Amino acid sequence: MNAVSTSLLDHSLPPELQQLLQTQDGPAFEQALDVLVREREQHLFRALGVLARDLHDAVRRLGNDLAQEGVPDSVADARRHLHDVLDMSAKAAHRSLDFAERMRPQAEALQADAAVVLADGGKDDATVALARRAGEFAGHCRDGLSDMVLAQSWQDLSGQRIKKVANFIGSVESSLLELVRLTGVLAGGEAPVAAAKVSSQDEADRLLSEFGF
Amino acid sequence: MKILVDDDFSTMRRIVRNLLVELGFSNTLIQEADDGDNAIDMLRSMPFDLVVTDWNMPNMTGIDLLRAIRAELALKALPVLMVTAENNRDQIIAAAQAGVNGYIVKPFTAVTLKEKLGKIFERLAAQGATA
Repeated sequence: MNAVSTSLLDHSLPPELQQLLQTQDGPAFEQALDVLVREREQHLFRALGVLARDLHDAVRRLGNDLAQEGVPDSVADARRHLHDVLDMSAKAAHRSLDFAERMRPQAEALQADAAVVLADGGKDDATVALARRAGEFAGHCRDGLSDMVLAQSWQDLSGQRIKKVANFIGSVESSLLELVRLTGVLAGGEAPVAAAKVSSQDEADRLLSEFGF
Repeated sequence: MKILVDDDFSTMRRIVRNLLVELGFSNTLIQEADDGDNAIDMLRSMPFDLVVTDWNMPNMTGIDLLRAIRAELALKALPVLMVTAENNRDQIIAAAQAGVNGYIVKPFTAVTLKEKLGKIFERLAAQGATA
């Protein structure tokens, strides 16, 4: 070890490391290095152990909820509610379209009739005025009904978003169940939702305790 | 003119049908499909002059339908108008590259539909004249 690097290391390294670097005894150096590395590994393992335990606890709680509080039912309910909303909104949009399709031909017929009256001569002023107004009104109705038809595209646009949310809930549901199943398998349990067995939990706790967690 | 309207939402199929009728197309010549799979089956079984399709559909999407149409000798010249809520650049470019004839972003108006259909038929007529 040369003097330059030693002097550099002096300022930035902990004392035990400085001591280690200055030693001339090869086997002692290696032994001390092993101790240092092992200490670091133990820190890492301890941190991983705590994480594993937290995760295990969280998933166990989730497993209990899923098994006892009917969370799968709630998730399925949520998806069913969304599909109900889709159906209801489609029905409502179709009712509006029924109405528009029923009224449009009537508006067009009235517009045509008014045009016929106006085209025939020899009518008194009151009749001509009424026919003109009727024709204009029918035209406005026709345009308004077309706009109403177009406005029903809200059902498609909102429905697509609802479908996306329903699919997302479905994927979250299956991921959660898979997580619980995997944890059950890792902890020695069998069935996914029934993974919250006290025995397997005790085993897991004991196993974790053996490693000092 | 025989038109196929392809959308998984029945309301949107009905709206497009209404608009087409309003623009003067015959109601009885308009047929409907609810995804790309059904659409391609119908296109193979009877002649159509125009396809109006959504993008987001189960089974076969609108872009896959477009590619399937362009890949099939008997169908490749069929005009396809895409009517979709997808309005990001990449998707519009993908549709253009796949050979779409027109692209309408939902929600749209009868005026937009008329304009895009007009352009499609103008271009087809020009191609027919030079062919």
